[in-house]
Amino acid sequence: MRNASRAAFGWLALAAGAIVYPLVLPGAFYIDVGTTLLLAAATAAAWNIIGGYAGQVSVGHAMFFGAGAYLPLLVYKLWQWPPIAGLPFGIVVSLVLAVLVGMPTFRLQGHYFSMATIAVAELIRLVVATAEPLGAAIGLQGPAVGRGVWDLTFRSGLPYYYLFLALLAMVLATSWWLQRSRLGFYLRSLRASERAARSLGVPVRRCKLLALMLSAAFTSAAGSLYAVKTGFVDPESGLGILVSVQMIIVAALGGAGTLFGPVLGALILIPLQTLTNTYFGGEGSGLTYILYGGAILLIARFEPGGLLDLVYRARGLFAKPAPSSEQSRHAA
Amino acid sequence: MLLEASAVTKQFGGFRAVSDASISIDEGEIVGLIGPNGAGKSTMFNCLSGDLPPTSGRIVYDGRDVTRASPEAHARLGIGRTFQVPVTFEDMTILENVMVGAFLRHAGRNAAHAAAMDILEMTGLAPIRDRPARSLGTPGRKRLEIARVLATRPRLLLLDEALAGLNANEIASAIQLVRAIHARGITLIVVEHVMEVIMSLAQRVLVFNQGRVIASGAARDVVQDAEVIRAYLGQTQWIAAAPAAAVP
Amino acid sequence: MILLQVIVGGLLLGAIYALFSSGLTLIWGMMNFINFAHGEFVMLGMYAAFVMVLWFHAGPLAFIPVAALALVAVGLLVYFGVIRSVMRGPMLAQILSTFGLALLLRYLAFWIFSANFVSLPPTALRGTLRIGGILIDVPQLVGGTTAAALTIAMHLFLTRTRAGSQLLAVAEDRAAAMLMGIRPDRMQALAWAIAAGSAGIAGALIAITYPFSPSIGEVFGLTAFVVVTFGGFGSVPGALIAGLLIGLIQALSAFYLGPIYKDIAVYALFIAVLWVRPQGLMGKA
Repeated sequence: MRNASRAAFGWLALAAGAIVYPLVLPGAFYIDVGTTLLLAAATAAAWNIIGGYAGQVSVGHAMFFGAGAYLPLLVYKLWQWPPIAGLPFGIVVSLVLAVLVGMPTFRLQGHYFSMATIAVAELIRLVVATAEPLGAAIGLQGPAVGRGVWDLTFRSGLPYYYLFLALLAMVLATSWWLQRSRLGFYLRSLRASERAARSLGVPVRRCKLLALMLSAAFTSAAGSLYAVKTGFVDPESGLGILVSVQMIIVAALGGAGTLFGPVLGALILIPLQTLTNTYFGGEGSGLTYILYGGAILLIARFEPGGLLDLVYRARGLFAKPAPSSEQSRHAA
Repeated sequence: MLLEASAVTKQFGGFRAVSDASISIDEGEIVGLIGPNGAGKSTMFNCLSGDLPPTSGRIVYDGRDVTRASPEAHARLGIGRTFQVPVTFEDMTILENVMVGAFLRHAGRNAAHAAAMDILEMTGLAPIRDRPARSLGTPGRKRLEIARVLATRPRLLLLDEALAGLNANEIASAIQLVRAIHARGITLIVVEHVMEVIMSLAQRVLVFNQGRVIASGAARDVVQDAEVIRAYLGQTQWIAAAPAAAVP
Repeated sequence: MILLQVIVGGLLLGAIYALFSSGLTLIWGMMNFINFAHGEFVMLGMYAAFVMVLWFHAGPLAFIPVAALALVAVGLLVYFGVIRSVMRGPMLAQILSTFGLALLLRYLAFWIFSANFVSLPPTALRGTLRIGGILIDVPQLVGGTTAAALTIAMHLFLTRTRAGSQLLAVAEDRAAAMLMGIRPDRMQALAWAIAAGSAGIAGALIAITYPFSPSIGEVFGLTAFVVVTFGGFGSVPGALIAGLLIGLIQALSAFYLGPIYKDIAVYALFIAVLWVRPQGLMGKA
């Protein structure tokens, strides 16, 4: 119980910090960094539902982000609707994609799913990059000037900061509920052993598919908000491999399969990324990718539990001796 | 009749692991499945639990054909199992492991928690419930597996070498646990290597050799059976080595 | 006649697909492990050839073996440095490790060689042959037949030699192989060396004919997935047939639909196979 209240206090402090941050650092630059951080945390937390809790590693989540990003600008292009009206359509497309990828592969071992996600994401990127109605390689644009309140074009970045904060809060609240629910228990059990989980009556395929759909819907919503904010999307920014990679690295860096992991990952990675972009001249040099690749490799090799696991272990080392297997064998 | 398997055959390529085996289990029995290593006990066991669909034959549980039903359907119907090499959910605590089982009959978290606590008390795991499963040794894992499957409220429980790799003390306490489970009205099928253990537990044993049931009956009669002795003869090393070999 | 030429060209490229896909299928079949950086191994083979030609004016007889050896070294380094330990870890770590490696190798190559397409200067292998009324590029012909021969040689190595059968024994049943005195660790290292080495050779063979850039590894990696999915995991003969088939499909879709559709056709087919027959066309159920 003490642990629980301490965690609750931590979350409250974090929420309060996130709410007052733009008031303390009101410059456009800081708000922009803050918004980027929230977007990264929200998408990583969404990825975490399938990749972390369920242990089904998607390396093509860009397809859901891209569906979310393209649909708002598409409804604007086709019917001059306010872009935000495309958000539900993006979610529908993402759910269809989730079923398309998940249904056949969730019968099989995890590698198939990973392979299918990357293949489908690449296929979609290639198709979109050649499809004229979707702007081909140039991409789609939103309204240049806001035509009304529903175009959500604001003079400052502040409203979007809070919109992304609300989205992150929603994803985290859902993850928190998931952790405690039957579905959450089932996902964690099947991540450890599908065979054992099935022997206890866990409908493994259905659980994985549900988790993927939940994850896809949130990722899509994040993509829609992103597109409405920037008023622009092209195959690279909406569907590029970096989009998927960033979700994975943020979640894995902090700790996949934990509630706080994606937030921690974003808190570390985004300021770091901002620094490297400022000093090394941005993403064009490919240095970001080199660092990302190296970081993912190092995490996988040395700290597969992420930094959060490291923190817990360090704390456990100082707080109380960890129960040795000898003791527990005796107790059992 | 709770479970009836008739003429079950399981073929792997050219190899017949189980050949034309028929067994029937009454409600409330403890039945032992014994035989030398590679006799087809484990394959038969996996056919009964839905892990491997038989190549031919029919398995009826409680009046229902379950021959090709999935493992999760078996669990829902009340057929529970453990694994020869225990498979626990390593990152979850002992309590959470058992709650996974309890969620089968209780959708809500609180109800599942309460049901899991009951089982933890019964199996003696309650004091260490908040430890991660990975902190357990082999005997603890075996006990946790039993607790986890008990939480699914099975009517028929299949135990796959639940005693292998335990020392004398641990075997005694495990036998006590099996009796307590039986006292709750759960029917048991116990696969075991070690004859002595089966003798003290099972009311009836089925002996497997080369994929066939070669003898069945009361434990004391079966060990006198000439064919059984022949099957085990020359296998004595296996019997003696089995518990040690099962320790990872 | 043009159609026949397209078919032959597709089959010759498909043979090279078969060669590097065999490496991927070997690792998968043996360790139940997918190497997401396999396409990058092929790409490194191309740049190994490129460097040899540029610096030492090496001919194909020199740069192909050097590419093979360089990649064998990379494969062993990756196996002993990373794979051996992540195999014991969670699935997440297994997938992330080679995925991270792929990004690292791809963008290191970007950094060193830039994103521009390059091609090897004409080597001793040049010219075209006219066989039965169709024109065949000599480098393409040599590349394709060499690749097919090496793929068959790999199959023969696995099935006919002692080391090969030990390797397959580990793939079949690790514990039983250990009882027979085979050391799985060595065999797995050997599998990584073979897989990476064949990717290196395949890269060098493609580099003779086709221009390339660092991002080509991603395309080859996905192509290898598709080939392995078609051919069944762990099957070298399956990879050979599937590789030829994919090469053919690519060539035909480029011919009939336009060059941009050659990858789209392959990925779409891949998804269709996943739906219809996920264990592969020739894989066991």
